[in-house]
Amino acid sequence: MKHWTEGFDDDDADEPLVRPYTITGGRTSSERDDLTLITLVTAISAVSPETGHGLRRMQPEHRTILTLCRRPLAVAEVASALNLPVSVTKILIGDLIEADQMRARPPLAFAQAGGFPSVTILEAVRDGLRNL
Amino acid sequence: MDYATSDHGDAAPLAVKILIAGGFGVGKTTLVGAVSEVAPLRTEEYLTHASVGVDDLEGVSGKSTTTVALDFGRITINSELVLYLFGTPGQERFWFMWNDLVNGAMGAVVLVDTRRLDVSFASIDFFESRGIPFVVGVNCFHGVRDRTQEEIRKALDLDPQVPLVLCDARDRTAGRDVLLALIDRLMAAHSQTAPHPVA
Repeated sequence: MKHWTEGFDDDDADEPLVRPYTITGGRTSSERDDLTLITLVTAISAVSPETGHGLRRMQPEHRTILTLCRRPLAVAEVASALNLPVSVTKILIGDLIEADQMRARPPLAFAQAGGFPSVTILEAVRDGLRNL
Repeated sequence: MDYATSDHGDAAPLAVKILIAGGFGVGKTTLVGAVSEVAPLRTEEYLTHASVGVDDLEGVSGKSTTTVALDFGRITINSELVLYLFGTPGQERFWFMWNDLVNGAMGAVVLVDTRRLDVSFASIDFFESRGIPFVVGVNCFHGVRDRTQEEIRKALDLDPQVPLVLCDARDRTAGRDVLLALIDRLMAAHSQTAPHPVA
């Protein structure tokens, strides 16, 4: 599916034809607080992006998100692919989660908990980096 | 942890992140690009902030919105773990307020340029005040090493525990070694304080 932003020059990206919050129906913040920059979101495969039942006002961006997220992607990656601000992207992803078309896996919240990542995770990251 | 609100599948890996900070033009995006498995991606966010002192128009709401852009990359550690690297935007006074960017970071790399050490002061202050573990990467542009490590430490007023690593932000291995220094620092902190692990 061709996205409406395809073919635009990067120079035009700062001046979108449609104001971002038009896509969200005027909503400026997500009701969900479990979506972060690195929350991994995945489309539920049983749902066809073409039908999109369960969501009353499906925007083209919703379908694009479902197509992108056939494999898990971070919210930041989805926002980057859509060329939309993170907050707008979160609202759209929130719609799809509400409609049972996506699931989200939040990251571990190290900073809020005031703790450190577990040794298991640190060792895995270290081993992964060494293999770079 | 309460995952009850999100029905996450077993298919999705766990995501962790490291911040790459430092002043304007110190090589943050270069470092992200050197170690990332994909070309750095760009995303942006609207930040609302109270305007401070300037353009104070009576009767106009004291809040304004700024768009900040950041570059980020990704390293797939294994099938269960993905590491994201976020280059913080150049204007500190904006990204410092971006809670979603800062919260949940394992730690940070503060890049410095020896010719302009001062542009990275604010990042160091920020991570110190927030108690976020960090290492300092000295980006030796074109192999220029005009100051000793001791001189740099002194100029940055760096805590002796904070590792300082010389690197070339364009080089994959050098960039990786800066990240490894941060992981070592986190593991050392782990064994010293025996905190309550999150996972």
